[in-house]
Amino acid sequence: MEVVPISIAAAAALLSVAATYLAVRSGDLLAAVVLSAVQSVAYALIYYILMAPDIALVYIPVSVGVLPAVTVLLIKKTERYEV
Amino acid sequence: MRIREVVIAVSVALVVLLLAYVIEAGGLGPIAPRELRELAASYLVNAYNPWNVTQSALSLEAVTAIVWDYRGLDTFFETSVLFASIVGVSLVFRGYRERLGIGGRGLSEIVKTSTRVLLPLILIAGVSVALHGHLTPGGGFQGGSFIAVLLVLMSIVFSLDFVVERGLTSGRLLALRSVGLIGVLATSVALLAAGLALGVEAYIFQNVAREGSELSMPQWLLDRPTGGTLIFFNMFEALAVAAGLALAFLVLSLREEEVREALGVGEWYE
Repeated sequence: MEVVPISIAAAAALLSVAATYLAVRSGDLLAAVVLSAVQSVAYALIYYILMAPDIALVYIPVSVGVLPAVTVLLIKKTERYEV
Repeated sequence: MRIREVVIAVSVALVVLLLAYVIEAGGLGPIAPRELRELAASYLVNAYNPWNVTQSALSLEAVTAIVWDYRGLDTFFETSVLFASIVGVSLVFRGYRERLGIGGRGLSEIVKTSTRVLLPLILIAGVSVALHGHLTPGGGFQGGSFIAVLLVLMSIVFSLDFVVERGLTSGRLLALRSVGLIGVLATSVALLAAGLALGVEAYIFQNVAREGSELSMPQWLLDRPTGGTLIFFNMFEALAVAAGLALAFLVLSLREEEVREALGVGEWYE
């Protein structure tokens, strides 16, 4: 495979790990939801580069649309800040 | 403090990169070969192969051919798991009914206007991804989740009342989901039923003519290939997924007044 797409995938992977770490550490749960959406976008890009467009298509609406929506709903019913 | 966190995050990423390097070098056992394996090659050759119809799904997209034809039964049970969980959600919140006029009025006029432009685009993208599942990447689940996102977006931007007033209540969504599931079930046994009626041999999840059975779903709509059962599976799956996910979102967004009402019905059942 060519170097450029692979290095884009590597950069996306690094971004996703950083975003996941920050999401786990974050005390603000809403910020954690946004960070995990960032991680999902990076993953969708990786799926696309690794020639799995079917997975990318299902990954974007579920992990950037439905999952954050449901999580924000659940956060609304509890508290926003972790103590 | 913030810089320290970023440094830790980047070093975690470097550890993952190092692990990937170890795996690539074969340090954790053998990895998949780079050349096409025999099984993959046979799927690629047979997915659209009009010269050898008994082995083919007549679908231009190999993934959809595998998902809904070669491995149709697997996908059917996979779908059942998702819908069992949605049945669980609606069972826990049984007796739930939306009530108008207790929520907010949605977001600002600017957001509403731009969303109004966006909504038909999402709808068209979802329907096209679902209907072209046998031609391009995508399929029923993908298209259905696009449409579910549309409904979620509508209920956030325009408020829940807006969605409910236009007739998308949880009861109707449950009915739509059931229509989709019944459609999937009917498509999977359609040729078997036809075979029983005509007294010919046929199989469950049969798409085109197979060895020992001449029956076949229609392969062409005007001059476009339909992939036989695949277009029906994708259509009904999209309907079921869109209604199911939107139903789960709608039920999980329930307000206190509605909970109290639902709880009353729950006690009545006991």
